[in-house]
Amino acid sequence: MWTLADKPVNSRLLIGSALYPSPHIMQEAIRASQADVVTVSLRRQTAFQQAEQAGGQQFWQLLRELELNILPNTAGCHNAKEAITTAHMARELFNTNWIKLEVIGDEYSLQPDPFALLEATKELISQGFEVFPYCTDDLVLCEKLVEAGCRILMPWGAPIGTGKGLINPYALRNLRQRLTDITLIVDAGIGAPSHAAQALEMGYDAVLLNTAVAKSPDPISMGKAFAAAVDAGRLAYQAGIMPASDTASPSTPTLGTPFWHQQSS
Amino acid sequence: MGRVLAWQLQQQGFQVILYDQASTDGEAAAAFVAAGMLAPYAELESAESDVFQLGLRSLELWPQIIHSLKAQHLFHAGGTLVVAHPQDQAYLQRFQQQLQYHQIAPEHSPLLSKQQLAATNSGLAERFDMALSLPTESWIYARELLGVLQQGLLDQGVQWHHNCAVAKVNNGQIISAAGVHHFDWAIDCRGLGAQAQIPQLRGVRGEVIEVHAPEVDIKQMVRLMHPHYRLYLVPRDNHHYLLGATQIETDDQSNISVRSALELLSALYSLHPGFAEARIVRTATGCRPALPDHLPSVVTDNQLIRINGLFRHGFLLAPALAEAALAQIQGH
Repeated sequence: MWTLADKPVNSRLLIGSALYPSPHIMQEAIRASQADVVTVSLRRQTAFQQAEQAGGQQFWQLLRELELNILPNTAGCHNAKEAITTAHMARELFNTNWIKLEVIGDEYSLQPDPFALLEATKELISQGFEVFPYCTDDLVLCEKLVEAGCRILMPWGAPIGTGKGLINPYALRNLRQRLTDITLIVDAGIGAPSHAAQALEMGYDAVLLNTAVAKSPDPISMGKAFAAAVDAGRLAYQAGIMPASDTASPSTPTLGTPFWHQQSS
Repeated sequence: MGRVLAWQLQQQGFQVILYDQASTDGEAAAAFVAAGMLAPYAELESAESDVFQLGLRSLELWPQIIHSLKAQHLFHAGGTLVVAHPQDQAYLQRFQQQLQYHQIAPEHSPLLSKQQLAATNSGLAERFDMALSLPTESWIYARELLGVLQQGLLDQGVQWHHNCAVAKVNNGQIISAAGVHHFDWAIDCRGLGAQAQIPQLRGVRGEVIEVHAPEVDIKQMVRLMHPHYRLYLVPRDNHHYLLGATQIETDDQSNISVRSALELLSALYSLHPGFAEARIVRTATGCRPALPDHLPSVVTDNQLIRINGLFRHGFLLAPALAEAALAQIQGH
């Protein structure tokens, strides 16, 4: 059990609700992943409509049936104003002050716009939101987000949907070392369970992913695989991972090895 | 779905009476917006084995139905080319992974080299280095087929109560504003119109665009694998192309959004430079009836059959589901 924005949760895996072959498979895969938090995008469903009459109600009902913490996101927003409007709609629809703040700066790579992100973060925190900002691994940006009042940061592992894993482990490790009191979640770019385990081994509090499970030929089995990976990664971090060394060190003492074995090797 | 089943029933000698909430031209049906793709292999990108198997059966049945309607000109067996831009090759690989997962034999999905792609004369080799070919896939001119089915049914003397909203379909009963009508069998093919009786049914919005592109000569269906957009292209007569389709979780049937149009058209332009000067002929929006598992449902309860949840696969699934319904009735 750990605490995410004052809520007790068990799993260190946060999972997305997009791209699954069907809502039924989405429900099954999310259950298999044991995630306690599920993200949901509002942007496309609600175009042109007011929150109270927004489309997609039935899809959201399927999500509510999972009885998990819902983390609405502002995917698809390209400026601070759009993101703030979407956050308000999310608060109304899902009765939560949690918002995963995404402000896209580059349409092709979906790289976040750090300037608009910071602007929207300040505004939403002043309005009482718990902001989960999707950001790059830039230390200065992350520090500014913390100064703005973020208790949680979600730096990318790699661009959304690429599945490349942690492409800049140095920067991610540096963030962990510098921002010791902040909840850090690797968001985006995770492709394989081993990537998730790697983030947890570094001391990250959790990972957030979607495509790796949803677009697997067997999303339910992949959900289980990620559940096991985050458990393994966290356990390893707590146990203490041996520092790598350049020189070999035998796990069996050489003292007791018969000399003719040494000669023949 | 309703028209195909009515035609098959009529062909088997049953007396068929149709209740239709709209006019006979079918404009209100989700099928009216459909591109008419019979693409079970390509659909494996996001559909399950059941849809694939039913789709294969429909691929066998459609030529017979088309023949019985004397509408061979509406059926096209050109296959599908699946492409991805060089920077998006991973998405083509993912699709290949899906095909392997479903144990599709390589001869059903050969990978074409740039030279082989050039030999298709599609012009796609200008921008793509390779393509996955799905040679057995076909397509139907959907809107025209609805018209042919309508005419065929009327010519056969089918009673067609159009503009007649049906409130409920029960065991052997159809209940409309005009009263309760009794039959040997009542078959509910209302799609989203059945939502009151199938609460888990939901609408998924789809938007399509038809363009006229004289500079483009593509004779196959094309699927573009892209990180953000899902695009298919279906050729029609005289250099017309239908492109679609968005998939948005809402039952809003209003006109296509600017964003969807931009996405579809940008993806289209990326296929072939000749689309730059294409003319936009029409846009259309429809909502597909979907169940939570995105699988079709055929439920029989005494003298009632409910067929629904065809989702994105109306034309792909209709003949196979009609066959299943017919078997239920004939075996009763």
